[in-house]
Amino acid sequence: MPRSDDATYYHDDPAWGDVTPLAQDDGGLHPLASIAYTDEYSEAMGYLRAVMAANEYSDRVLALTEHIISMNPAHYTVWLYRAKALRETGADLAREIAWLNPTALQHLKNYQIWHHRQTIVDVLGSPAGEADFIATMLEQDSKNYHVWSYRQWLVQRFDLFASDDELRWTEAMIDGDVRNNSAWNHRWFLVVGGQGGRLESRRLVERELEYAKYAIRKAPQNQSPWNYIKGVVRAAGLPFSTLTDFALEFADMRRPDDIYSSHALDLLADIYADNEGSKEEAKKALHLLASRFDPIRAHYWNYRKALLEVPETTA
Amino acid sequence: MASSRPGPPEASAPSSRLEEILDDKLRIQELPESDHEYEDLSPQEEAHMAYLESVKIPIVDDFKTESTEIQDETLEVVLPFLEGNPNDFPLNEHGIPHLQKEKHVKFLKKALGDYPAPFAMMDASRPWIVYWSLQGLSALGYDISEYRERVIHTFSLAQYPAGGYGGNYGHLPHLAATYAAVLSIIMVSTPSTPSTYDSINRKNLWHFLGQLKQPDGGFNMTTGGEEDIRGAYCGLVVISLLNLPLELPDDAPARKHGLTSFTDRLGEWIGKCQAFDGGISAAPGNEAHGAYAFCGLGALAILGAPKHTLHTYLDMGALVHWLSARQCAPEGGYNGRTNKLVDGCYSHWVGGCWAIVEAAAAAAAPSPASLWNRDALARYILSAAQFAKGGLVDKPGKRPDAYHTCYNLAGLSAAQHRYLHDGDAVAEQGLDAPFGWTPNGSFAGSRVWADADEVGLVHPVFVIPFGAVRESRRYFAGKNSF
Ligand SMILES: [Zn+2]
Repeated sequence: MPRSDDATYYHDDPAWGDVTPLAQDDGGLHPLASIAYTDEYSEAMGYLRAVMAANEYSDRVLALTEHIISMNPAHYTVWLYRAKALRETGADLAREIAWLNPTALQHLKNYQIWHHRQTIVDVLGSPAGEADFIATMLEQDSKNYHVWSYRQWLVQRFDLFASDDELRWTEAMIDGDVRNNSAWNHRWFLVVGGQGGRLESRRLVERELEYAKYAIRKAPQNQSPWNYIKGVVRAAGLPFSTLTDFALEFADMRRPDDIYSSHALDLLADIYADNEGSKEEAKKALHLLASRFDPIRAHYWNYRKALLEVPETTA
Repeated sequence: MASSRPGPPEASAPSSRLEEILDDKLRIQELPESDHEYEDLSPQEEAHMAYLESVKIPIVDDFKTESTEIQDETLEVVLPFLEGNPNDFPLNEHGIPHLQKEKHVKFLKKALGDYPAPFAMMDASRPWIVYWSLQGLSALGYDISEYRERVIHTFSLAQYPAGGYGGNYGHLPHLAATYAAVLSIIMVSTPSTPSTYDSINRKNLWHFLGQLKQPDGGFNMTTGGEEDIRGAYCGLVVISLLNLPLELPDDAPARKHGLTSFTDRLGEWIGKCQAFDGGISAAPGNEAHGAYAFCGLGALAILGAPKHTLHTYLDMGALVHWLSARQCAPEGGYNGRTNKLVDGCYSHWVGGCWAIVEAAAAAAAPSPASLWNRDALARYILSAAQFAKGGLVDKPGKRPDAYHTCYNLAGLSAAQHRYLHDGDAVAEQGLDAPFGWTPNGSFAGSRVWADADEVGLVHPVFVIPFGAVRESRRYFAGKNSF
């Protein structure tokens, strides 16, 4: 590999004179999926192996890990060792966050970064500034799984379940794209997950039902709020029939040419299946789904139909 | 803090996939020239278009958002491949492209070869590359025994002295790398060459796993790493295949919290990963996701017979509803989350869930012929996920990689074959349940693939060939301790 002028090397750096790098020995056979590393990467890894073998935690180790991460941000070993070095040297963690921000933006899909960030913020003991940074990240990819999972960790770690800001922000995300299922999941996490999976408060149940209904009316074929509203009813211990009139707004089975949501039919099938006297109606809804409104899942709808015939002996 | 750690890359548990590791500059958009004129449709194309019309959802909301915009853009890219044959592949008797086995074999063999310097970013994922390639080759019927020595050598370098495997020499051990390494070694080993099996230091591996077991029942991916459902699946796969003791090592930190076995509180922890919409997430509270769903179901299918464990720890009705909703219409392939895009890797992550779910559902209802649309998935894989020059992709316009090749092929296998789980034949002790699976013939319903397009059987839980499972079982069953 040719060397580029801006590469960083350690072998002629007096600050590293006391370290003998541990080179990689591939042995006699050629390993599978081998990478022709640059001299710069190989050498840096050799020094990393050496300092890891000696359990060295120091400022120069921090610099070395930063260097390797710049070449390979998906290297969990380096991130883990860096986290330990930060701890052992008592490094300034606010500075670490400041360094992480542009690094994360540069590597949107990297996930080691998020675990590392979590470790640091946990020790810092404050979520200050994190919401702003998350917003910046989600501007790039509004459904980024790591970012949303990290947000959930923040809520739990700093008990933000009841925070008005948190709920308002989540609403703004849903407002931005009512089909952003990650945002719906976060709302669930705040409102129900924080209550141990139960919705006891009558006021909260009403608020959540209204919220989901409002969203469904915007775009009735969007499954996210339908899943949400079913979840709310279940968590509140209410029967699905609470939603009969609402579902009928979008799917009146007597007028199959005016059906505006396959998810409303799906819900109606659940509602009608609850009651011995309306099982025929449930079958009709499932038939409409299988034959016309959601035919790719015909096997599944027919399976649901078959379940209606099974006597309810087991839960 | 054990739970709710940030998860792995979207669309990728239990892997860290190439796509996320490589710079965009390494990924060139490559779309075949589209010279489609609608006036000269062949009868074949007309039939495909009529089919697509018949499986789409006839309701479209007027209200548009970012999600619908990218969905519409995606359909525009995918549909030409489902309607016609832009890659000019030879067609089977159903007018669907044949599986390009030779090209895919060539692609995967190349994936096992050398990589230039910019690929340093996948340094930590090398065990995955090896596993994906070997599994893909096996599914294609290619004899991988020629790689035996190099597989053993590759992983002897990546085996950590204190137990477990890392990405390469000097890397810390990681459960994902360990999973990929153990599966790769088992795939190329036979009892007649015991030294290959014995290259795995089982005792040290057991100690490493003991460090990862968490007080709440789950597993960390690595010491000081994140706890998520990949850990539960990868950990159980390794314990079960290698017949490691279920008892936690004395130095396992979870012992201080009263746990004594690797399986303690694990089913309950997986149950907590079931989201409000029925899907399964990386960790309690996170969003439901197809790849984590497979990890959760795979783990439960190791803990016991699916007809018991799935019903014990999950709301089955909600789960099946959510899995079913992952199949995109009219694309036929799967997405990983509600309102996300079709992607070939979910052919396995979601498609692979069905064998386990069907084994559990059969207990509750008159045995359904099939819960899902196998045909539509096979169409997506054969028509839209094959790259012209070999390898399989997320969707048309993306570059192939070993990850998408492996999991598209596993998904195709799931669509083509049926499996039975004999839950009563397995002793309900230890982790014997995953050895109760038997192939139950090819899917006999309506199908769009020819016999020549069939791929090999893939074990529903371990995602390696059945023969490899059988032989390693024979070898390790005799090992009562170390
Ligand atoms: Zn994918």
